[in-house]
Amino acid sequence: MTFRQFAFRNVIRNRRVYAAFFLSSVASVMVFFIYSMLMFHPKLENEFLQEIAFQGMVIAEVILVLFMLFFLLYSMRAFLEARLTEFGLLLQLGMEKRKLNKLILFETMIIGMAAIIVGILFGYAFAKFFFMIVREILQIDSLPLYFSWKPFALTISIFTSLFVIISFISVMFIKDVHLVSLLRGYWRNEQLSKFSVWRGLLGMLLLLAAYIMASQIQKQYLVIFTILTPPFAVLGTYWFFTDSVPFLLSRLRAHKKWYWKKYHIISLAKISAIMRENARMFFITCMVSTLAFLAVGTLSSMSTFTHQYHQLNPLGLVYSSKYGNPYEREHITGLINELEEKGLSYHLNKFDIKRQTSSYTKRSVKIMKQSDINRLAIVFGYPVVNLRPGEAMFLPYSLDSINELKTKKVNTVLEENNVSLSIDKVYPKVLFSPTELGTNVIIVNDIDFHMIIDPIQGAETRQSTTHIFVFYVPQWTETKDIGTDLDVMVSNAYVANKQDQLPFYFENPGLDYSFFRSTFALLLFIGLLASTVFFLASGSFIYFKLYTGLEEDKKQFDTLRRMGVTHKELRKIVDSQLITQFFLPWGLAMLHSTFAFMALQVFWKGIADLSIIKETIIVLAGITAIQICYFYLIRWRYLAHIRA
Amino acid sequence: MALLNIQDVTKVYEGKVTHRAINQLSFEVEKGEFLAVMGPSGSGKTTLLNMISTIDTQTSGDIVINGIKPTELKKNDLAYFRRRQLGFVFQDFNLLQMLTVEENMVLPLSLDDQDPSMMQERVQLVAKQLGIEDILQKRPNEISGGQAQRTAIGRAIIHKPSLLLADEPTGNLDSKASGDVLQLLGRINKEENTTIVMVTHDPIAASYCDRVLFIKDGEYFNEIYKDNHRQTFFQAILNVLSLLGGHVGDFSTIRIP
Repeated sequence: MTFRQFAFRNVIRNRRVYAAFFLSSVASVMVFFIYSMLMFHPKLENEFLQEIAFQGMVIAEVILVLFMLFFLLYSMRAFLEARLTEFGLLLQLGMEKRKLNKLILFETMIIGMAAIIVGILFGYAFAKFFFMIVREILQIDSLPLYFSWKPFALTISIFTSLFVIISFISVMFIKDVHLVSLLRGYWRNEQLSKFSVWRGLLGMLLLLAAYIMASQIQKQYLVIFTILTPPFAVLGTYWFFTDSVPFLLSRLRAHKKWYWKKYHIISLAKISAIMRENARMFFITCMVSTLAFLAVGTLSSMSTFTHQYHQLNPLGLVYSSKYGNPYEREHITGLINELEEKGLSYHLNKFDIKRQTSSYTKRSVKIMKQSDINRLAIVFGYPVVNLRPGEAMFLPYSLDSINELKTKKVNTVLEENNVSLSIDKVYPKVLFSPTELGTNVIIVNDIDFHMIIDPIQGAETRQSTTHIFVFYVPQWTETKDIGTDLDVMVSNAYVANKQDQLPFYFENPGLDYSFFRSTFALLLFIGLLASTVFFLASGSFIYFKLYTGLEEDKKQFDTLRRMGVTHKELRKIVDSQLITQFFLPWGLAMLHSTFAFMALQVFWKGIADLSIIKETIIVLAGITAIQICYFYLIRWRYLAHIRA
Repeated sequence: MALLNIQDVTKVYEGKVTHRAINQLSFEVEKGEFLAVMGPSGSGKTTLLNMISTIDTQTSGDIVINGIKPTELKKNDLAYFRRRQLGFVFQDFNLLQMLTVEENMVLPLSLDDQDPSMMQERVQLVAKQLGIEDILQKRPNEISGGQAQRTAIGRAIIHKPSLLLADEPTGNLDSKASGDVLQLLGRINKEENTTIVMVTHDPIAASYCDRVLFIKDGEYFNEIYKDNHRQTFFQAILNVLSLLGGHVGDFSTIRIP
């Protein structure tokens, strides 16, 4: 048997021991390969990469590689720890340390190569499925499966170097250790937990402070919040795991009335040991999960955003022109030409809008006539308006405002022309966004509309009357290239704060939407990456830890069984320790993200009037469900191992 | 009446090669007796102990402990039976590393949901009896082997079991600690009237008992009772061991003092 044969047989015949490490490597390779496939997709180069910066994806891949390096290193270490006795035996038989290193390197490379091949095969098989998901989320044209050497080369080279690096680093773990302690298993030393009460209290205090800040956040303090809360939360979380939890546990252990009851002694002691060994691990898991939850939560709100954005801006292109705008004809023809060039169908409607002072609010109100609204309503298939003279109707500017205005009844007089109106209805659909028309708009009968002749107080006719041209485009997401010159003029005027002097205003929801979408798209990739790898990693970490300590645990449970611990109690003890590992870092991450979402909601309210609570709850519930499944799976395996 | 009654017990391990570990073994242990079971490696000592400790079941025959047949008990009742009636001492102590000495000792009581103040009293009492009051707050890896085994004995007797089972309790101890532990077991046997069944290789350990039962290949071989003098009892044990055959590996190193 040559040395290589020995290494090879080691791997092949110890399949069960190597399986966990192999599978986690395969999963890493697979995720990475699918992302590379997407990154090098030929179709993306043309259409997509204008929207998503290529750099963004590269950054995401770098993050992924770093995370995988960490993850594989950890897996490798747990895996080697489980085999230390075996290595001790080899050294005792006279193997040189150099040769042992070579053995580990060789074995790692065998597993690594197999993992790369299998991972790429699976990755290629699932790539199409992944592309379909991406296509759905980003609403882009089909992404066909393709073949190119680039993703293969990237994956193979990255992972080959990863495995080499890992095997070199992990060899150092078994460096200066005596043979005896290797054979006896020195790594399982159980030491008293040392914690500082002050740090423990401070950790909880910091977390509390971060939560209070996040929940009490106001729009104007958003900047301070963004700067202050993350470091508070990170430091607080770290101390929470290293000091606060041991501190709380020690308080609990002092409570003999509770602590000495039933199996509490064993459960609590086990939890303390787990906390001591894994505090840093838990901290990292907790932070990564928080990030992943946030990313996924934000992304899921994107679908609401698309939907609501369209509900809020149903009109397509809107060009509003003040009275006497000299460019009006030129601009409208330009827009029509551009639309026809692109082959987009449209309906053009023209509205007249007058401004008057309301006697009820003493403020200005914008007035539209019902025949204009009805023309638009027929195009959309919305309900038509039928008002008698003297009646009026609110035109809502957002979904929330519909409910708000529903119950409102106002009797008012348009002061300049002495037209009295009673407003007691609201139009059931949103037509204009607040940026297009403002928030105070009513619809009146045509007869009343024509009675408005005198302009609003303190203004000329020019400022009092506006024409609005609405291009209703069914394919509204395709209009991002239309009227870009107008958009530039409007934005420049806004930047220079001269929007009052510009005789027109132009809004293109398609363009705005595409901007939002590409920002989201970038988040989507990083979020999906993080959460995929997170799910992969967090479960495997726990599994590896359990696997490493399995022999010790078996012995302990055997002792306990002899002492008369029933099956049910045994299960409860296992539960308490597994629940800690699965749900403590994760529960804290949940709490973190809940508060972060609270702050995020404030931010969202700022840019668009929409709520992300529902999506957030759905996402968090979904992740919880997956986590619970994972928990039961591992628990089932662990109990089976323990009882064997 | 005997506390432990073993009647025609046979244990067969099924597998690729069927192996008869215990064959038609019968004996009795009286209440308050200190019995040692000796035999060469592979004679079925540990199998026997596992069956008495109810974690293994015999293929045929009866084991009756304190009038109860454990094989007829349900799973949970069996666990309750173990936690109330039996105490265990192991060769490698099997203390739970994450618990302090005190917590290790109190474990059987807390499993049985006793009152914590009563548990506290018991711990103090037993610790005093065993001479480990000073190390109650220490962890198992901070104490010596002898102390660890005394802690294990404390754990085994704190709930006043009717039967104490010991599997090579001195196997991992030096001669001084072995002597201490054995004297301790003897004292517990006398003072508390606790019945003890001890499995051992070591003729010195066996010489502390009231009676030594020898088994060979799973069958009854011989038994001898203590006389007035421990030295002569030890000599008698050695004589039987030599009759057992030359396969008792660890007895060749022992020379008669």
